[in-house]
Amino acid sequence: MPQKPQHRVILRPVQTELTAPAGTALRDLLFAQGVEFPCGGQGRCRGCRVHVLEGTASVNDAQRERLSAEEIAAGWRLACQCSLEEDLVIELRQWDAAILVDETPFAFQPRPGLGVAVDLGTTTLVAQLLDLRTSHVLAVRTALNSQARFGADVMSRVRFAVAEGGAPQLGDLIRQQIGSLIDQLVFSAQVPEREITDVVVVGNTVMHHLFCGLDVEPLSRYPFESEQLGLRAFRGRDFGWKLSGEARVLFLPCLGGFVGSDTLAGILATNLSEREDLNGLVDLGTNGEIVIGSRQRLLCASTAAGPAFEGARISMGMRAATGAISEVKVEDHAIRCHVLGNVPPQGLCGSGLVDAVAAGLELGRIQPSGRFTDGAGAWELAAPVVLTQNDIRELQLAKGAIAAGIRILLDRFGAKPSDLRKLYLAGAFGNYINRASAQRIGLINFPAEKVEAAGNTALLGAKLALFRPEGEDGSFARLRHQIEHVALNADQSFQETFVEEMAFPQTHMPNLKGRLV
Amino acid sequence: MTQFEELQQAIIDGKAPVAKELTEKMLKEGVRPSEFFPKAIIPAMDEVGRRMRECEFFIPEVLIAARAARASSDILRPLLVGDEAVTSAGTVVCGTVKGDLHDIGKNIVAMMLESAGFKIVDLGVDVTPEKIVDAVRQNHANIVALSALLTTTMVNMKSVVEALTAAGLRDKVKIMVGGAPVTDAWAHSIGADGYGKDAPAAVELARQLVAA
Repeated sequence: MPQKPQHRVILRPVQTELTAPAGTALRDLLFAQGVEFPCGGQGRCRGCRVHVLEGTASVNDAQRERLSAEEIAAGWRLACQCSLEEDLVIELRQWDAAILVDETPFAFQPRPGLGVAVDLGTTTLVAQLLDLRTSHVLAVRTALNSQARFGADVMSRVRFAVAEGGAPQLGDLIRQQIGSLIDQLVFSAQVPEREITDVVVVGNTVMHHLFCGLDVEPLSRYPFESEQLGLRAFRGRDFGWKLSGEARVLFLPCLGGFVGSDTLAGILATNLSEREDLNGLVDLGTNGEIVIGSRQRLLCASTAAGPAFEGARISMGMRAATGAISEVKVEDHAIRCHVLGNVPPQGLCGSGLVDAVAAGLELGRIQPSGRFTDGAGAWELAAPVVLTQNDIRELQLAKGAIAAGIRILLDRFGAKPSDLRKLYLAGAFGNYINRASAQRIGLINFPAEKVEAAGNTALLGAKLALFRPEGEDGSFARLRHQIEHVALNADQSFQETFVEEMAFPQTHMPNLKGRLV
Repeated sequence: MTQFEELQQAIIDGKAPVAKELTEKMLKEGVRPSEFFPKAIIPAMDEVGRRMRECEFFIPEVLIAARAARASSDILRPLLVGDEAVTSAGTVVCGTVKGDLHDIGKNIVAMMLESAGFKIVDLGVDVTPEKIVDAVRQNHANIVALSALLTTTMVNMKSVVEALTAAGLRDKVKIMVGGAPVTDAWAHSIGADGYGKDAPAAVELARQLVAA
């Protein structure tokens, strides 16, 4: 059989050189390099676009629908729609993801053996190996969720699982990936794998179901409620992981709807269920999770904020990586941008986006309605990076969803933002977002002193669960009984509140100080 | 500024009480009910559509403008029943498909179509194909407009097309689809007649489909 010709692909700016046979899908080639495909490689978004600098890649209808004629002429392509026809030099828009690893010290009851805590996120995975005698972290590994090639958000994964029978594949992928992360942890810490006695995994309801091999079909449609939310216990041998066959593997229980054990872990980490006063926990992700309550009663909800905070669907949006404008400050009636990595600006990440809009409101360039005051289509922040009118609209949708969720949960307690003792912000974005800017745009409409970055609370909660004695409320029955899931989409007032919260507050802030980091 | 222009401005600015008051005043002064749509409501909502297209208006502004238009049209509709001078642009049965609860986009499209002179039968959200078939039959609808916001629920648009075919109604109605994950290619693949990328596009499409 004749061999297919091999072609060479050079990736910039990373300068990686790859060789692959003609006809290879760019999607397969680039996914292995960490490029994400937000819509699952279906040509429905622009997330995987690449700039072809040398060589040619064919344009099809899906690309003509998503890219402008100018972009196509300039060499932009959707990687998911192209295959290798000749040697290529490609510039990537995405590379490297900033991942948050938790190192918070905590109180614990020493136990013999080693444990592994896993935060199984839709986008990223973080796993830590702990010495259960000392609670010391012996090793840590992070990775992009290997299911991501089938879609960036949970709904795309559910669609793939339900409509294309992909559930077994998604389940195998993630169990294998966690197994290999555990191998890497063991290798890196140079410890015997048989000493691992416990593995605790947390994740949202879709991750829980796919990992545990449960049917996700109920999560594909209203009322988005699964009957199988409980704690799932396995043994090391069940997955062929290189652990003792007896090692316990627990996937902590979910709370309702899409709110999963990552949020339950967040409640453990912030101790919300033990406090007398009212506190809140918000995870600003593609699916924003919100918890408000005290030891008497906790309410949780999730709200689809979309990927704007991660820089997706923003014209020059990017992850918080080298070249991203991560901060925008107002000084002497002008703006000053901070660019990660001390290089020329290339794009705008989530924190920069929130800052830029806050600055625009501050300077009167942006109206509370979200409209540019001068009617222009875009505002140049730092050449060549611009903020477009449409970017502001995307942010309004994201912030409207979160703010409406918070408001509805507060209303259920008859409480105002000032009644909360603390609002904890979970996750990487919560850590580097400017609190004053978040307040200025009405995303987190709380006084800055009440807002506290809590880090990766999902991972911390998973670690705490490693130390819970066996048998004693092992399934978190008491805690789950305390927490009520509120289905926001079915709440009468949600749509109205959501629309109201799309506008920016009128209030004038004296300045934009109070950055967290 | 003529009174019709004043009413147009009130609708564009989203001032529902002003729109209502003006409509009542003009009626009292002898303006014929049939004049309001072509001279005030339709041009006002076309302008709202234009501003939405150009990113000048966003969802909140469009919704309050549509509410103002409704404040006026609610007064007029009972007066227009049986009026020979008024011909409805057509009847549209609309809804968000089964399994999906998103109604903001669907509501905007419904209100814009209503302001463009269409009769709207809004079935709400999480609507089964059977319910749509029944509504098409009862109302002799010209158009079915379907919305879906989730990649997992847009497949249910196809079930509606199939149900209408099975009921023998497919050649009696035009089917248009919309919503964030929906594309022109998707509309074609399920056998729908058209895709509207936003509310103004949906109005234009509905006008074309009825004329065809």
